[in-house]
Amino acid sequence: MINLVYNEMLKIVRKKRLFIIAAIVAVLVSLFTYAQFKQIETIRERIGTTDWRTQLQQQIIDTQNRLNSTGISEEWKKFLKIRLQQQQYYLDNDINPMAPGAPTFMRMFIENSIELFLPLLVMVIAADLVSSEASGGTIKLLLTRPVKRWKVLMSKYIAMILSTSFIVFSVALLSYAISGIVFGYGGWNLPLLTGFSIQGEELNTTAVHLIPQWKYLLIEFGLAFFVSLVVGTLTFMLSVLIRSTAAVMGIMLAALISGAILSSMVSSWESAKYLFMVNLRLTSYISGMAPPIDGMTLSFSMTVLAIWALGALIVSFYVFTKRDVY
Amino acid sequence: MSKRIIGMIVTICAATTVLWTIGLIVTIQDQFFYEASSIKQPKQTTGNTKKNDALSIVALGDSLTRGTGDETGKGYVGYVVDELKKQTNQHVQFTNLAIKGQRSAQLISQLKQKEVQRQLKEADIILMTIGGNDLFRGGEALRDLSTTQLEKEKEKFVQQLRTIFQLVRTVNNDAPVFYIALYNPFNDLDNGKETSAVVRSWNYAASEVAADYKSIICVPTYDLFELQVNDYLYTDKFHPNKEGYKRIGERVASLITLTKGEK
Repeated sequence: MINLVYNEMLKIVRKKRLFIIAAIVAVLVSLFTYAQFKQIETIRERIGTTDWRTQLQQQIIDTQNRLNSTGISEEWKKFLKIRLQQQQYYLDNDINPMAPGAPTFMRMFIENSIELFLPLLVMVIAADLVSSEASGGTIKLLLTRPVKRWKVLMSKYIAMILSTSFIVFSVALLSYAISGIVFGYGGWNLPLLTGFSIQGEELNTTAVHLIPQWKYLLIEFGLAFFVSLVVGTLTFMLSVLIRSTAAVMGIMLAALISGAILSSMVSSWESAKYLFMVNLRLTSYISGMAPPIDGMTLSFSMTVLAIWALGALIVSFYVFTKRDVY
Repeated sequence: MSKRIIGMIVTICAATTVLWTIGLIVTIQDQFFYEASSIKQPKQTTGNTKKNDALSIVALGDSLTRGTGDETGKGYVGYVVDELKKQTNQHVQFTNLAIKGQRSAQLISQLKQKEVQRQLKEADIILMTIGGNDLFRGGEALRDLSTTQLEKEKEKFVQQLRTIFQLVRTVNNDAPVFYIALYNPFNDLDNGKETSAVVRSWNYAASEVAADYKSIICVPTYDLFELQVNDYLYTDKFHPNKEGYKRIGERVASLITLTKGEK
């Protein structure tokens, strides 16, 4: 088994995709670092101070003003209201949620990439694991070996898991290393609040507690890994079902992008919460943002995602072991 | 590609898989099995660096201070800040705490917030507008000019204004406060005479309150909008436009130089 997995890893590494992905991450991280740096500078210029309390207070006032203007949608209003209460809570407790530093940047980066960017990267790896063997014809060579079919597929699946964690790791490492040049490498022990829960338009703070940033990051990257695994598993299933790698990528791409669009407009279509793509933003439960649909919680989203992944896994193994290969 | 590199990558992959799994376990333990007992006690780092040498301006109030109607988004405060930046080479720090549509009662509750008080305490100059929404209630008051109702509203406003000034003065006893008084956006309408009378009486009441406190200056704007009011109003016929704000800003800025000279 270990040899089979090693063999699969060899194939993945030979294709050099992992390095291309790392390069993409590096470029994007540099871009975002620069954007973030510029943003901080603009705020500083506008308010004329580096005091975070003043800046946060100004942000709260700006949000209040946006809330008072007519013509903003109900969903957006609710989102703003919850964020407002959260910012006020941070301010009242004298905690700076945005103290500059590489760990803070990592947090921001993973929160923004968990929904689309990271799944896309994983998809690039997972999409052709099986389908390329089918379209290239090498699948026959693979299956003529005296190994059970499920073992072959299992080795591919484990290789997918391993490369997924490599991708998440490269995001973590590169975002830390590159942003640290500008923002400094400190800030692991910065206290952060978590445990907010949202009830309608109100922010419930009864379970709120402080955790150091390193633990917060560990949680967020754990969740990012979970999301990537689910997306990877779904792509893996498609890769088993469809011979064409391009088609696999197309379908996954459509699903992921529709998820990003849907989450901003589904609040009135309640059963949409059972779709996997609107559940991908797991980190917003940790930071206490409003979920796309009322009643969604971390445990709910994780369960939905796990069921989708499990279903996909069963389908892949069933189809792969029963299918005629010619 | 050598075997060693691949071996290394596989090792990294395996190690990080373990790490992320730990992350997931921590998530479950932290998010689902947290007992809401130990309430957090953040380190109190308040009160640091009381005054820096920057000139700090804090603006409070409603949409006028926000700058609604000015397409550049500056509002009169923007012009005041610009003007002050020209006059001084001191670093100017400016915070706008105004909220659109705010009435005096809401301003009182805003003034009770800890962070707002901290900023007021550090302020060198305080600018404010309040009362426009109390009086005009979005145009409602125009239809109902019954004197008893308006008297009642005025009485309430005067009391709340007193509370506001009181709060500001308890937090910050030195900084000059410029209270920008009301103008009448409706004075070219048919009942312009009546509405103008009401605005004047509110302004008078407000300046009486201001007079009771040390260096709270009631800045009139009524006269600025008396002739050709529509030239200085935004398309909503209520808020000033860029020109209107410029006029208010110029007036306030000129007062600030004076008071600084007197010091």
